[in-house]
Amino acid sequence: MLKTKNLVKIFRSDEIETTALNNVNLDISEGEFVAIMGPSGCGKSTLLNILGLLDDATSGEIYFRDIEVSKFSERNRTKLRKANVGFVFQSFNLIDELSVYENVELPLLYLNTPSTERKKKVLEVLDYMQIAHRKKHFPQQLSGGQQQRVAVARAVVTNPKLILADEPTGNLDSVNGEDVMNLLTLLNKQGTTIVMVTHSPTDAEKAHRVIQLFDGYIVTESVKKV
Amino acid sequence: MLGFELIKSSKTCYSIYKTRSMREVTIPLPLVKENEQVEIQVNVGKKRKIEHYKIDSFQWECEDELSRGNDATSISLARISRLKKLIESYDKSWELIQIFAPLENSEFIRVLYRKKE
Repeated sequence: MLKTKNLVKIFRSDEIETTALNNVNLDISEGEFVAIMGPSGCGKSTLLNILGLLDDATSGEIYFRDIEVSKFSERNRTKLRKANVGFVFQSFNLIDELSVYENVELPLLYLNTPSTERKKKVLEVLDYMQIAHRKKHFPQQLSGGQQQRVAVARAVVTNPKLILADEPTGNLDSVNGEDVMNLLTLLNKQGTTIVMVTHSPTDAEKAHRVIQLFDGYIVTESVKKV
Repeated sequence: MLGFELIKSSKTCYSIYKTRSMREVTIPLPLVKENEQVEIQVNVGKKRKIEHYKIDSFQWECEDELSRGNDATSISLARISRLKKLIESYDKSWELIQIFAPLENSEFIRVLYRKKE
């Protein structure tokens, strides 16, 4: 589903050049759950942002379902993201000015989903996340765990084929963290491909494959018996 | 089809929210020396589980192995290449759990392993 060839990312400032990713070659199959681990600053989030076409690689290629997408125009990238990719971030990235309902509705608005269908989908997903009773609340009125549930709801409301999760439990207590991990596992079992960046060995255990990144290099990969 | 209806109809999702449990317990440990093993025994109800962990230290300094110059890229390449080899050739009865970032100017890099069941 997702493949990279010799992915390199170099951050340049006036005086310093930092290589964040070094010839990263990945091949992620449809329906796989992959965890990317490594110490802070090793390039995990950079890799995830590039895989999600939120950032550009300095060189190398990215294939989404065998189509080379790294050279896509911004317009086509956005189109691809909207239709296929759901993002979950450590800091939730909800829009504070929008209610829970409106936050979850947003990706459907971008996809021009008709109003009746939109309402049905939003309510279903909120109900499933057990957050429907908070639909009129604003993010700041929710706990961290509730905010992340809303963020996951927003990520899955369009039925994306791929979910990219950056430290999804990083800001959560263990109970809410486990809920989010169970949710991601369940979505994966339903067929969604998941790529998750994490510091937590416990969370990584839910994945089929764990990739260890260090200084921008893939150091090792371990495949779990499923 | 990746459908929300599909997920919603799954009976498991409700049980998932109901069966909440502690995910992690943090245990402060005294400094573990090189190649010393940590044995952790957990009793949950009548079930007993024993886990073995080991922190290993690999050489991180690599001046002797630099063949293409001593710029940052060459040093990084030499280090990563050696780390990869050491991990690949490690005792297969242990699984790698985590690589810790070495401190600045440290000679060793520490890697956490867990004994396979």
